[in-house]
Formats: sequence, C-alpha cells, structure tokens
Amino acid sequence: MIRFNDVSKYFPTRFGPKYVLKNIDLDIPDDRDVAILGKNGAGKSTLLRLLGGVDFPTEGRIQSNRFISWPLALTSGFQGTLTGRENVRFICRIHGVKSNRSTEEFVKEFSELGGSFELPVSSYSSGMKSKYSFAVSMAFDFDTYLIDEIMSVGDSGFKKKCENAISNKRENSNIILVSHNMNLLRRQCNAAILLAYGRAEFYESVEQAIFRYECL
Amino acid sequence: MKARSAFSIQRDVVFAIFVREMISRFSTYTFGNVWLVLEPLLMMTLFIVLFGARGQGAYGFTEAPIFIYTSFLTFRGLWASTMRQCAGARGGARGLLEFRQVRLFDVFMARAFIEGGLFLIVGLIIALGLVWLGYDPWPDDPLGVLGYCSVLWLLAASFGMLACMVGSIAREVEKLVGMLTMPLLFVSAVLFPMTFVPRQFWGYLTWNPVLHAMELVREAWFSNYTSPVADFGYLFAVTLACLALALSSYRLTWRRVVAQ
Repeated sequence: MIRFNDVSKYFPTRFGPKYVLKNIDLDIPDDRDVAILGKNGAGKSTLLRLLGGVDFPTEGRIQSNRFISWPLALTSGFQGTLTGRENVRFICRIHGVKSNRSTEEFVKEFSELGGSFELPVSSYSSGMKSKYSFAVSMAFDFDTYLIDEIMSVGDSGFKKKCENAISNKRENSNIILVSHNMNLLRRQCNAAILLAYGRAEFYESVEQAIFRYECL
Repeated sequence: MKARSAFSIQRDVVFAIFVREMISRFSTYTFGNVWLVLEPLLMMTLFIVLFGARGQGAYGFTEAPIFIYTSFLTFRGLWASTMRQCAGARGGARGLLEFRQVRLFDVFMARAFIEGGLFLIVGLIIALGLVWLGYDPWPDDPLGVLGYCSVLWLLAASFGMLACMVGSIAREVEKLVGMLTMPLLFVSAVLFPMTFVPRQFWGYLTWNPVLHAMELVREAWFSNYTSPVADFGYLFAVTLACLALALSSYRLTWRRVVAQ
C-alpha cells in the first residue's frame, strides 16, 4: 500500500506558489496496476517523482513499505560521458547488487544495443536511450515500477517487447504508468488516477477514468 | 531487492559515486584517467621549478624545492581542490539525484574522499621524484603532518559544503568562492613562512584559519622550524564551527536545494 496523507506540492515561481497537487489523500493498493491520466502540466510527472522519492511534498507525507523503482523517464539519471555498461554498473552499486556481470549482460541483450552498449550514453539516439533505460529498469526486481511515457519512443518491435516484459513483471509486482496512449493504458492497467485542477481522483475502472479525462 | 541498513546504503552509494567520478572526470581526454594524477603533478612540478629554482637557501630551515613542495601540495592539493570540488557538488550531482538512494551529502563525501586520496598519492609520487633528485622530502613528524592535514581537509570540505548550500540561494557565492583561492594563496603563508612577515601584520593575517594549518603542517614537517603564530586551538575551533554550520545548513535546506 502506498498512502498519501494530505499531500500538497507547489513550486515557487515569480508569481507566487504554483500548486500542482493540493491536499491529496490517496491509497494505491498493492494489487492494482495504475494508470495516471491528466493534461500536460497537471502534475503526472511530479506525482511519479514524489512516488520515486526524488522529489518531496511541500506538505504532508507519503508512506509506503514497498521497493519502488526510480521514475523511469527519457531523461533518467545516466551520465552521458560514461558508457552504457558503466552506467549499469553504477546503478547496480547503488542498489547493492553484487552480481553486476549478469545484470550488464541482461541489459545488453534486452536493449538490443549490441556494440553501442560500450559507447558513451550521450551518443545514443532518443530511441536507443529509451530502449536502454527501459532495459536497465527491467533488470532489477522492484515491487512497484514507475514508468513515465517511455514506451512511446521505441520502434514497434521494441514496443511489443516492452509490453511483454511489463506483463511478466505484473505477475509479481505492480506498475504505475503515465502515458497519453489510451490503448496501452487499457491493456496494462486495471485502475487509474485522474489528475485535474490540483486534485487526484482514484478510479477502480480505467474506462471510466478515460471517459472522465476526455470530458475535461 | 533486499532491504539494507541505512549505513550500508550510504556506503554503497558513496563508493558508487567515488568510482563514477573517477571514471568520468577525465574520460573525454586522450590520456583519460592518467590526468587524475598528472594534472596536480604537472602543476606541482611547475611551481617547484618556478619558485624553488631561485632563492636557494633563503628559507634557512630547508631547501627551496622542499619548502615549495610542502606548502603548495597542502594548499592546492588539499585545501583549494577539496574546497572547490565540494562547492561545485550541486552541479555535478544533477543526474545522480534521479535515484532515491543518492543524496547530495553522498556526493560531498565521495568528492572529499577523492581529493584527500589524490593528495596522498600525488604527494607520494613527487616525494619519490625529489628523493631521486637527491633531496630529503620526508616529514620529521609524519603523524603530526597527517593529523594537521586531516583537520585542513575537514575544514576545506565543510567550507565547500557551506559555500554550496549558500550558493543555492545566490549563485554569486560560487563566483566569490572561485575568486577566493588566488588572494588566499598570498595571505596564507604559502610562499613564505610567517617568520618572514613583519610582526605588525601578524594580528591581521592570523584571522585566517588556513594560515594556521599551513604553519602547523610546516612545524610538523621540519623539526627545526617553529612558527611564531600557529595556534591549533583556533584552527580546530574554526573547523568545528564551519562543520557544524555546514551540516546544519545542509539539514535545513537540502530538499530545496535538490528541487532546483
């Protein structure tokens, strides 16, 4: 269970505080795969960053006893000057994974990068980068995976592979998915959170949330 | 995933950043990681030749190259580089903070350890070079030198950390800290021992804690040199105050600093 206790988040701007989320009370059950819906700037990525523990609510608390992945976005924290392999090694180290050889080989194979795996990450195209960062997160066993729009970039073959990988992960863990691709959300999720006007609404049915989202 | 204790997470993260910084700092250069040691080595050699070649025997208690070696190594290798690296930690940590395990404090620690280690390695290499040239660079009181150096290292790390936290409020602080190194070189008794300075200036210069560290290291290094002004109590008190200020400002503001 991930529990939001009266969570507010604002960003200080020139025009005073800009609230993205305001007084949110929310429970995300462990056995649900959650789609996050909302217009641009509604706070989808902020919510994911709060869940990932890399950003903090201005007020309130988020409680959870699960291993939550880092928020998996296109601009994930890879150092451009390091090679793909070196970045994987770094992430293994900070997660306390000792068997980094097998993780490296998994990422190399899953991401289909081949020789580029040994080149600096800054030389990757955006498609390659999305494949790479997706592969890296799949190499670790989390309870909850946070996925932010990352599957919209890769080629169609890889998209299918991603969806298969996610379906496999869903057997033992759950996912929280941000996407503007409604069909993907319908296939992979069985609950939804709709973000609008600084509020968050939990829906048991994805269809209903999508209907509400399209009426906004 | 296995649950780990807070201490083992921090140990893993600091080690990971340590390795990552070591690899990435010079990875775009042709000679790569050799520059980690080569850069301070070249600079030190240049200074030793530049200042050491003239004024043979002018210091009385030691030869000129050894004098320059002891003071420049401590000032540039330990104080200036540790301080600068810690002050710049925020910029270097950008990509790292995408992971919840990594905190800004781990970056400070990793960077301070790197600079401290490089100081020891570079110092040893140059000392061996000086031995080869027929000098005697070894300190008379090695434990004293190490002790004073670690206090100076702690002062540099906490001052850099403080500068980094204050710099998040006003970026101008970064510029000021960058400009500080050069004048500090002249007022910290790096190029001359304090016995060369007329007595009426001692009162002003001894406000500077780095000067005390330089003089104390010098005293420990050369048993026949006694500093007229060195005061370990003052240095230690300033270091503790700086550390306390840095740690508390970190604790108060790190979330806001990271959010930028």
